Amino acid sequence: MKIRMRKKWMALPLAAMMIAGCSHSETSNSASGSKDTIKIMAPLLSPESPSDKSPSLKALEKYTGKEIKVTWVPDSSYNDKFNIVMASGEMPHAIVIKDKSAGFIKSVKAGAFWELSPYLKEYKNLSQADEKILKNSSVNGEVYGIYRTRDLIRACMIIRTDWLKNVGLDMPETLDDFYEVLKAFKEKDPDGNGKDDTYGMVVPKWMGLGNGSPWDVLQIWFGAPNRYGVENGKLIPDFTTKEYMDALTFFKKLYDEGLINKDFAVMDSAKWNDPVVKGKAGVIVDTGSRASQIQSAMEEADESNKDIIDIVGSLEGPNGKRTFPTSGYSGMITIPKSSVKTEKELKEVLSFLDKMNDKEAQILTNNGVKGRNYELKDGVFTSLEKNNKSLLYEHEGLAQFSMSIPKSEYYIEDQKNKLFQHRKDIITEGEKIAVFNPAESLVSDVYTQKGAQLDNIILDARTQFIIGEIDEKGFDDAVELWKKSGGNDLMKDLNKLYQSSK
Amino acid sequence: METVPKKGDAPVLTAGKGISWMAALKRDKWLYLLLIPGLLYFLIFKYLPMWGVLIAFKDYSPYLGFWKSEWVGFDYFKDFFMNPDFFRLLRNTLMLASLDLLFAFPAPLILALLLNEVRKAVYKRCIQTFIYVPHFVSWTIVVSITFVFFTVDTGVINKMIMSLTGEQISFLSDADWFRPMIVMQSIWKETGWGTILFLAALATVDQEQYEAAIMDGAGRFRRMWHITLPAIRSTIIVLLILRIGSFLNLGFEQVYLMTNSLNRSVADIFDTYVYMMGITQGAYSYSTAVGLFKSVVGIILIFGANYIAKKFDQEGLF
Repeated sequence: MKIRMRKKWMALPLAAMMIAGCSHSETSNSASGSKDTIKIMAPLLSPESPSDKSPSLKALEKYTGKEIKVTWVPDSSYNDKFNIVMASGEMPHAIVIKDKSAGFIKSVKAGAFWELSPYLKEYKNLSQADEKILKNSSVNGEVYGIYRTRDLIRACMIIRTDWLKNVGLDMPETLDDFYEVLKAFKEKDPDGNGKDDTYGMVVPKWMGLGNGSPWDVLQIWFGAPNRYGVENGKLIPDFTTKEYMDALTFFKKLYDEGLINKDFAVMDSAKWNDPVVKGKAGVIVDTGSRASQIQSAMEEADESNKDIIDIVGSLEGPNGKRTFPTSGYSGMITIPKSSVKTEKELKEVLSFLDKMNDKEAQILTNNGVKGRNYELKDGVFTSLEKNNKSLLYEHEGLAQFSMSIPKSEYYIEDQKNKLFQHRKDIITEGEKIAVFNPAESLVSDVYTQKGAQLDNIILDARTQFIIGEIDEKGFDDAVELWKKSGGNDLMKDLNKLYQSSK
Repeated sequence: METVPKKGDAPVLTAGKGISWMAALKRDKWLYLLLIPGLLYFLIFKYLPMWGVLIAFKDYSPYLGFWKSEWVGFDYFKDFFMNPDFFRLLRNTLMLASLDLLFAFPAPLILALLLNEVRKAVYKRCIQTFIYVPHFVSWTIVVSITFVFFTVDTGVINKMIMSLTGEQISFLSDADWFRPMIVMQSIWKETGWGTILFLAALATVDQEQYEAAIMDGAGRFRRMWHITLPAIRSTIIVLLILRIGSFLNLGFEQVYLMTNSLNRSVADIFDTYVYMMGITQGAYSYSTAVGLFKSVVGIILIFGANYIAKKFDQEGLF
């Protein structure tokens, strides 16, 4: 009797394990069988994920003819979770990759994903993918995912126009104007309170190189290349160019004269807007969307602040007007070989992804269901989610696996304000003057292994130079250290890839 | 009179001589049964995952998985020891660890001794409760608070220094200030919590000894030196050994959050390096090798400290 009791006790956890095991094998069976269900892994940036009963999701399933099962992973731990999923073997049919992380590259090299370039041309929407962006998102020219389209131009200079009026200056057009404005914002009491308590531009702490920090953007304006320049047909790192050093010297001048915040090396970027909103500083160099954030924060504080913030897309430097582009995409959707085994299955998944780019699907993922999430009156779009976040969450997450190829066809609320129009203009103008990174698509093993350390050497030297801890010779020493620590190998490797990619 | 043990009585614990281990197992079966959950816990959650360190000897790729990845022997260890970063990391880690041991370890002892001298029990208990609070504040918050207080231009501390001396000190970005700031943060956060064990030890000191000492005319410091400290010596030694065992575990979060472009030369330690290489760069095998090296040093230190403690005729840990 007693023995049997004990056995029952032991059986409990065992049973639990078996149940867990069953449910697993069940899902994986349906994964390898017919493709009535599409399983997707995607990052979640909203506080809530769309539920299984979400009307938008249901409508999307109806439209695509597939049952859609999404594994939502919090954005902050997405790359870690990706590595775990890769190791577990329990893979969905489509995985959103946020960036070409080392873990992703390693898996690509081990043959984990389908190479898609031969297949894309067979599909109505996917075949219209932009060549340049497709190349940017590739791994040395090989396409392992379908990119998610983003604005190519986002960088701009954000400025308080009321301050500009107070100091009697016009909107800056060149870098010299820019300096004049910053100086006036510091010295000419732009807020008119009689105290010396303002400065020019806010710069926060920034991790990484070439990913859109204010310094990166200004360097491009100064004429430096985007990460790598091309000299005599060979790639050279941007920090060995004269223009780069000119930019650094300019930054140092800004710092020395107190035109930027003294604590820029440690300032939390979450508080980036505060000095501008609170009337301590007047300029930020970042994305256009930040301008809108600041504008609405200032309007909230004081209604008379309408149209107070304006933006300029590019300031003219010694090499003319240039701008810092994004890579044109944010992450991509990959198809793993272990869950999508045959070419036939692959084509099923691809035609599903192709459908996701139809106008109807784009609207469902980005705007939701008509009559529920938005209204359309005489072709004018009005969102019904203004005071109802839960409506928004029904479809907001779905946009994470929307690609918008060939172009965004969902509705955008028509904003009549000046700022919104300027942002649009900057995007059109910027596409002509964007300076691209010639090595965007090149993935070097050296960079995968040592990239973060190598970047840190230059990142640190740049900061140290600006605050005057090292001089030009010190910066050259840092470049030498960079070369010795693997920079030379990196350039050799990149140049080899560059030659063969041409 | 002899009593026959009734069924259900607690088994009598006698020396196991003459009883085979099978018999011992049978006799104390209920006690051993109670042991099972604990053993399982250690087996499943501590020993089983430990096999993962084997990836330090493999060229691990998440897609290939543990079994299919290739063995590479000690390659990653060689890479690490040959790396120019190695000595910088070692120096930074040792410096920070030594400062921590030197300043942060005695702090709770001193505070406990001070508290021990507080006469009013209510007052003492209130203080005790209050000083535990920082322990429950996460490092992220502690670092944020530090930023608010110490930043240039807008920080309170720098405003005070500015009004007194006319100059500002860049506590957060000056490499020379990095180590003092880290140690001060540790002291602020953990000192109160650290007093618990010392206070418990202090409570066991025989009060009569104090009375006798007072009769002999010993002052406060004499009493502390000759009675209190010797009485809690073994506690101090045990805690010291444990502390030395985790000598190199400086805590990733705190150092990582305090690191910036201007102090990285002194702020890179093994923990942050493992994070950077392993999580951000995906060099799992390499970073595991670094972590394993750190653990081996930790084991050597704890055995060494224990050995030395025993040499000096003190109670060791084991």
